[in-house]
Amino acid sequence: MIETGTETGWYVYGVVESDVLSDDAVAGADRLRLVRRGALAAVVGPVDLGEFGETEIVERLNDPAWLEEKARAHDDVLERISRDATVVPLRFGAIYLVLDDITDLLDERREELLEALERVRGRVERGVKAWADRERLEAALAHEQPQPDEPESAGRAYLWRLQAERVVAARAAALLRDVASSAHERLRRVAVVGVANRPQPRELTQRAEQMLLNGAYLVPAGDLALEREVDALAAELCGLGVTFELTGPWPPYNFVGPVQTQP
Amino acid sequence: MSVLERPAPAEELTLLELVDRVLTKGVTLTGDITLAVADVDLVYVGLRVLLASVPTLDRLRDEGGA
Repeated sequence: MIETGTETGWYVYGVVESDVLSDDAVAGADRLRLVRRGALAAVVGPVDLGEFGETEIVERLNDPAWLEEKARAHDDVLERISRDATVVPLRFGAIYLVLDDITDLLDERREELLEALERVRGRVERGVKAWADRERLEAALAHEQPQPDEPESAGRAYLWRLQAERVVAARAAALLRDVASSAHERLRRVAVVGVANRPQPRELTQRAEQMLLNGAYLVPAGDLALEREVDALAAELCGLGVTFELTGPWPPYNFVGPVQTQP
Repeated sequence: MSVLERPAPAEELTLLELVDRVLTKGVTLTGDITLAVADVDLVYVGLRVLLASVPTLDRLRDEGGA
């Protein structure tokens, strides 16, 4: 365990091909360097183990300001590197005490890393989120429901309304499931590959709308097909109160792990 | 930025999207590594608790959406 606040560890941001970037091109303000091994190179930077030590980092992860700053820094480095080279992003928090251990890692994971580099070469990740205004949709569906001719009593009218609300809620839920899966399918078709991640709950998004789709798509850099498909979907579905958000380009975080499976 | 000064929804979403990618995606390394943030679920839960602790929780509960 690391006790002092002045020791340095090596934070690994990602992996590139060893001959694509010069050390000067990598260095920048973050004092980054390349750790080369054969065809591969790890992009690493020094970090203070007083912050990133085994126990220290766990404490700090609960500090939202710290987490935001470090998550942004991680992404900024990968974004900068990806302008000039194909990069395989590593997950946050890969820290080594000894640089030699990183060369060993490049040896051990060589095949997998080369494969990941090939998969994402010349491509970028885009994020697409679809949102539903559930109240608006249910109001529209309720409007289509048959109305009772003449309620025989206040009690019957109440029961009828309860039943009608249940029907509308079930129809809305089914409709939104269809919308989410068909939107993902259409976006996946214009992308190299796509993945539908679990939609984030409202407690996290803090939005009144319900997240229907939390998709990530790997597309050729500069290709506009996905963007056009998002526009088309938005135009077709705005009547249902469904809206879309396109983010990125991101480094290909979602597409460097084990082979993706469609949910 | 203090915890209680909640940023605008758009910024929050961007942060969530960023944290979601950086902390839960990407290649993971094990073996000789000194530290890997393996307890991502914990972080995620921590973040959720933190964001949920803002005053909108009552509103969400009222809506039945929480």
